[in-house]
Amino acid sequence: MKIIKTGIAGTLESSDVMITVRSNSGKGIKINLQSTVKKQFGKQIIKVTNNLLKELSVEDALIQINDIGALDCTIEARLAAALYRGAEQSEYDWEKI
Amino acid sequence: MDDYQINAEFIEKPDSGAMLEITNLLKENDLTFETDIDETLLIRIGDSLAATGSISGNILKCIAVKKEYKNINLTGSIMTNLINREYQKGNTDFFLFTKPKNKGIFLQLGFSPVYEVKNSVVLMENNPLGLDNYLKELKKESRSKLDITGKAASIVVNCNPITNGHLYLIEKAADECDVLHLFVVSEDRSLFPMKVRYQLVKEATSHINNLVLHKGSNYIISNATFPSYFIKESKQIIDIHARLDLGLFSEIIAPALGITARFAGDEPLCPVTSNYNRLMKEILPKHGIDFHIIKRFETDGEPVSASRVRKCLLKRDFSSIKKIVPSATYNFLASSEGEKIIEKLKKAGK
Repeated sequence: MKIIKTGIAGTLESSDVMITVRSNSGKGIKINLQSTVKKQFGKQIIKVTNNLLKELSVEDALIQINDIGALDCTIEARLAAALYRGAEQSEYDWEKI
Repeated sequence: MDDYQINAEFIEKPDSGAMLEITNLLKENDLTFETDIDETLLIRIGDSLAATGSISGNILKCIAVKKEYKNINLTGSIMTNLINREYQKGNTDFFLFTKPKNKGIFLQLGFSPVYEVKNSVVLMENNPLGLDNYLKELKKESRSKLDITGKAASIVVNCNPITNGHLYLIEKAADECDVLHLFVVSEDRSLFPMKVRYQLVKEATSHINNLVLHKGSNYIISNATFPSYFIKESKQIIDIHARLDLGLFSEIIAPALGITARFAGDEPLCPVTSNYNRLMKEILPKHGIDFHIIKRFETDGEPVSASRVRKCLLKRDFSSIKKIVPSATYNFLASSEGEKIIEKLKKAGK
């Protein structure tokens, strides 16, 4: 999946996460994490993010995560939505997401 | 807490009742409702206005939460609404103003600080790489001149449109330094669109070998760094904005390019620019940037300025214009594109 424009999904309400993806062609993945629970769950959030990126074969993207205490499933859902928007794809691969 | 209904809506022009609620809420937070606002978000809990935030172009401002509703993350709701609104409008990079004491709240919501004026205001952006990318772009544009050692100077121009007056200032400054960085203001609020202003400056200055042309982007005299350049504001607010714009320029942008001097033309006509010159004279040297004012180029006992060109343009006095603008500008004005600008000017004058 190739990110061609800025995509955003989620909210900044409690227990949610807002994820912004930007194109970063040829320069790999860069994740910037802000979280109210970074100390406790920072590693886990990055792991969930990287797994989904791999699953959807995203090779280049700037990922900004603003987490207000979201569960893993919420993070995955928001990330998938932001990525599909950033890739301007509306054919979803339901087996992967 | 009692049962309550949260309701969020955007309004463009608040009626007097809503305006009173907004200004009261802002006042409680030591803020005022500004004059250049496109849309205002109202979040109500029951009948009471609990939180508000406004949008002006790509800037979020006048954000406040009522005291009794703090600690339920209403700031998150405001920001979600404002951010989604900006994306709907196609703005993916935007800014916000806040007081330094509230910086932490917005850091946690993913905004990065661009520049802080101590004890008064901090400008933040949603794209953590926004300013970095701009600095990289500036360095890339300067690549061919980076090996030149010696004095690097700068000028910031709007050039609406470029005249022989601007050209005189640019040539004079270029003579007095080894590399001249020329920034063209990017904000599209002038009669001549940014693209045209930039293109004409590029053509008119192509003969100056030690000149590097840049776009001012969001970081030099823009709606983000210096909103009161474009709207009428009180002297106190203009001062704060100038400190923001000039602080960012001299502490971050100038060092990235090794710039140690800034030139400007003296400004006998326009009060906003003349005030900006006064502030540059006061602020820049404090940050280690020399400031030089160059006397305006005159013909027929009158300074050559873009406003003079616009005045002649309104009268279709092309022979006077020809005497005071470079050929690039003249050719443009005489073209069909130029004709459109004259129409726009006439409409604005009515």
